[in-house]
Amino acid sequence: MSDPQTGHETLGRTKRSKSTVLQRNRDPKLGLKVTLGFIIAVIFILPIIWMLFVSIKPNGFSTTEPLEWFLPPYTFQNYTDIMFGSLIFRWLLNSVVVALITTVLTLLITSLAAFAISQMKFRYKNFIFIFFLLGLMIPGEATIIPLYEVAKSLGLIDTYAGLILPMIASPMGVIILKSFFDNVPKEVVESAIIDGCSYFKLFYKIVLPLAKPALSAIGIFTFIGSWNNFLWPYLSIMSETLYTLPVGLPVFNATYSQAYVQPMTANAIASIPVIIAFLIFEKQIVKGISFTGIKG
Amino acid sequence: MIKKQWNQDLKAIPFLLPFFIAYVIFTIFPIFKGLEMSLYEWTLVRKIEFVGLENYVKMFSDVHFWRTLWNTTFFVILTTPAMVLLALGLALLANLNTKLRTFFRGSFFIPSILSVSVISFLMIFMLQPYNGFVNNIIQMFGINWEPMWMADRGLAWVTIVVVTLWWTVGFNMILFLAALQDIPASLYEASEIDGASRWDMFRYITLPQLIPIGRVVLLLQILASYKVFAQILLITGGGPGGATRPLIQYIYEVGFKQNNLGYAATMSYALFFILLILSIVQLKNQRSGEN
Repeated sequence: MSDPQTGHETLGRTKRSKSTVLQRNRDPKLGLKVTLGFIIAVIFILPIIWMLFVSIKPNGFSTTEPLEWFLPPYTFQNYTDIMFGSLIFRWLLNSVVVALITTVLTLLITSLAAFAISQMKFRYKNFIFIFFLLGLMIPGEATIIPLYEVAKSLGLIDTYAGLILPMIASPMGVIILKSFFDNVPKEVVESAIIDGCSYFKLFYKIVLPLAKPALSAIGIFTFIGSWNNFLWPYLSIMSETLYTLPVGLPVFNATYSQAYVQPMTANAIASIPVIIAFLIFEKQIVKGISFTGIKG
Repeated sequence: MIKKQWNQDLKAIPFLLPFFIAYVIFTIFPIFKGLEMSLYEWTLVRKIEFVGLENYVKMFSDVHFWRTLWNTTFFVILTTPAMVLLALGLALLANLNTKLRTFFRGSFFIPSILSVSVISFLMIFMLQPYNGFVNNIIQMFGINWEPMWMADRGLAWVTIVVVTLWWTVGFNMILFLAALQDIPASLYEASEIDGASRWDMFRYITLPQLIPIGRVVLLLQILASYKVFAQILLITGGGPGGATRPLIQYIYEVGFKQNNLGYAATMSYALFFILLILSIVQLKNQRSGEN
């Protein structure tokens, strides 16, 4: 697959410029299509923009006039109220910590396993690889009831470890990393071994740095997956202080049925970090989706 | 020689072991545990007694099981074709030769990164009757209509489907977009010389080139839609009157509210086999696409 980013890279543009200029001159409907795209794009982000505006309206604000939602007066009082006066900040921290540790552990164990399968010689290697591949076909949602029993017998229910450990063995990660490691030149590996380099050093110093694009794609997806994970924390956490944001928000929001400002502020607090992260990592995310073909 | 082989094996073990342990305990073992549980009367606290195939017999005659399985299937039927077409359409718009393309792509994609709880409550509040944002916009245009988005059977489905499309279409759009940008420009240039119209180019070059990724999107979408749960639970609660309740919600209610993990595990097995078959088809399809 060629570079999926060509769409917005200068390299791609110059390469295709001749034909696209030709096409632009010949597409009489381009203006219409761009207008259509613009309208749809605005509809797509309108709910998010509405949420952000409601979050800075004065407490208790409500209106039947759609445009008034976007007009001043504005206040950031809700943010300080909710950050300090509710458990939202605690849940935000829980989500960040759980997602970070899940990501680090996933990258660690999948890259170790992928390295062994790609670069080391041992018996039953193919058998073990196929055994790992089977995991791709096992839907987590369908084994969640027995997983609850397993976690219970290991004392993992209602703990941080219980949120993290069941999520780290990603067969997809092993497969993607193995195919990356397979591209490391054999001579590099062999000469390093002859020079007395241990496998750990080879892994850490040579092979891992070469797989940075794959590691960052898997890392981003693991993080988003953990950040948004709903079903497992919903089942396995009972203490309010251990909630992650996806589980805590509905509890918080359910206490407000007609008041808009506090729930939307809570939603904004949960969304602003990921929106900022998206704007920073947009290229990697887009590239990651297209080269793994997986859904977050 | 054998000893040397052993040394090699030993060196691999520390690399394989961490993944192996986590994988076996949390991915493989629950499949067998689920089988055991489905053969017992099993509560949240402990296993009660062996009941053989009783749970399975119960499942086949359980109206709620079939009803919720149908609801899930209905959701798959409603969302899948719409999702594929919308994703393709948005990808074509995001691929237009305009300065706005980055804005288009970003806007179409950004709902996908929000948590299910955020998008669900955002929609609940926007779709309130009487003073909700959406109904007020409808009335701003002079239309005297007060839809009950979550309380009416038909509208509840519309809400769930539209919200799901809005929330998740971005991923599929990116897959189509990447495939669009992989189509060699030379194909278009050649057809241009032959005097092909823009519609001809779309029909005879763009669409056929997108068929492989279209198949991937289609199957991934079916697979993902069969797992639908959280947005329905949060937006309609499965209502009104169980009209939108999906299978996973029923499994959850049987297990954790009716305190019957054994029967919940049995129905999980039914879901497991549906998803297993779908993912085997999906992997086969992907493999044949690679060759």
